[in-house]
Amino acid sequence: MFFGKYREKTDGAIRGFDMHSPKARIGAILIMLVCILMVVICLFPIVWVFLASFKDIKDFTVNVTLLPAKMDFAGVAKTWNQLKFGKYYANSMISVAGCTVCAVIFNGLLAYGLAILKPKGYRIVQGLVMWSLLIPSVTSIVGLFRNINTLGMSKSFLPIWLSFGANAFYVLLFKEFFEDIPKELLESARLDGCGVLQVFQKMILPLSKPIIVVVAIFAVTAAWSDFLLPYLVLNGSGKETVMVKLFSFKDTPTNAVSMLRAVLFSIIPPTILLIIFQRQITDGAAAGAVKG
Amino acid sequence: MLPSVILFAFFVWEPLLENVRLSLYKTVRYEPVAFTGLSNYLRVINNVDFGAAFRNTFLYTFWSLLIGFFVPILMAVLISETVHMKGLFRTGVYFPNIMPGLGTIWIWSYLFNPGKTGVLNIILGKLGLPAFDWLNHSGWTIPLIIITMTWKAAGSTALIYMANISGINPDLYEAATIDGASIWKRIRYILLPSIRGLARTLLILQVISVFQILYEPMVLKNGGPNNASISLMMLVYRYAFRDFDFSAAAALSVMICIVLIILSGVYMRMTRKKEE
Repeated sequence: MFFGKYREKTDGAIRGFDMHSPKARIGAILIMLVCILMVVICLFPIVWVFLASFKDIKDFTVNVTLLPAKMDFAGVAKTWNQLKFGKYYANSMISVAGCTVCAVIFNGLLAYGLAILKPKGYRIVQGLVMWSLLIPSVTSIVGLFRNINTLGMSKSFLPIWLSFGANAFYVLLFKEFFEDIPKELLESARLDGCGVLQVFQKMILPLSKPIIVVVAIFAVTAAWSDFLLPYLVLNGSGKETVMVKLFSFKDTPTNAVSMLRAVLFSIIPPTILLIIFQRQITDGAAAGAVKG
Repeated sequence: MLPSVILFAFFVWEPLLENVRLSLYKTVRYEPVAFTGLSNYLRVINNVDFGAAFRNTFLYTFWSLLIGFFVPILMAVLISETVHMKGLFRTGVYFPNIMPGLGTIWIWSYLFNPGKTGVLNIILGKLGLPAFDWLNHSGWTIPLIIITMTWKAAGSTALIYMANISGINPDLYEAATIDGASIWKRIRYILLPSIRGLARTLLILQVISVFQILYEPMVLKNGGPNNASISLMMLVYRYAFRDFDFSAAAALSVMICIVLIILSGVYMRMTRKKEE
């Protein structure tokens, strides 16, 4: 049973026929156990947060236990209201929605231009985009912050939304995808009298659904986790997102349990997202970066 | 296409040039007032914290290569060799990656809590070992921060390796087996050489990303204890948003950028070689 399934194994160095030898069988079991251990290590801190957030403050500071003595649901709800997390969630939603739309539209269009239309001088743009893939925005944060202030865009969601429209990694994902669309398909559409816009609308868009989903998922999680630019732009404006709030905790002392619950609130949405989109996320993560 | 190019210009390219310009001027708030040449650079280099930050940034890189580079490869090989619960393993190791970085850093600050209620100390206590100081121990701060980063990032890197491993032609293994190669030898001489090119690429990318480490040490220990974990990017942040000394921040950014451009150049050359 356990070993029989190895016969269907299509990749990796251990093959189905190895399972005849007892040594290989022990090896397979050991590998399995190590993998389980790895997943436990990966998940433990997260599971711990879920559980420990339900401790009350006395239980948390005094008791030397991993698990809460009793689940303090009322306490969690109280922290939610006290820290006004409803408001931060709403702000985050606005920010994430805008970022995702910008990420899909602007990067998608740029990639479409680079991969298919190829106007004059596209190589220069392409080279610049590739370089910016390697020199991430953190180093230019000073100049960017100055630009945003000069244009008077501080304390608004706009710069944060638009910043997601200029992401070299997403451009690359789109571009690789568009380049794999058979050229004949597009040409025959052209011959049938479709204009550039029509080709985009009738052929590219429907074909690109999977890549749009992948980029959208990446953009949602990235926008949710983004905090440096939002902190600099939004802090003190009443539009703080969940992450901005979490970041500002570093300068304001907060009691340990409230803090922990804030962390809990911040990791719930990505958790739900991962559970729903498991396949797309794990496949997308591998596919995108191999080619990059 | 044009709007996207404008966005790139505004958010990525122009700020880089702006940095170079600001770094050559004396600034009041955001406005450059007088050209001062390279004096900002000298000021940054002579800062008391620069030496520590410079050394630490290299220490971060060193430790991340030592820990962060091999762990994902090991994970990928092991998970590739299982047949049961593979989906669970893949999602499980990827789970930390999708968590917000800030949230996970706060979680680890609880795990590393040096008191008796720190989670890792509770576990140590259960195993009958004495409690440990964790991040307060200056020699341990950087390796421990790297461990938290590896915990978060290793899963996604492992997925990339796994995609690569499953692309290896199975005939190779079968042929090797007929020639009498053991499982270990097949891993050593077929599997590992096949992912060497990818590993080299990921290595450079990892160095580039660790070089700009910023918020992990900032949130966990604010660069402490005693500057033991301060990084170059943290120094930039302090200059810009604590001291409002934009010219110094820009000068340091430019220096970091030059290092990254050199590294990127190496990366580009390597990928180009791979394509040929």
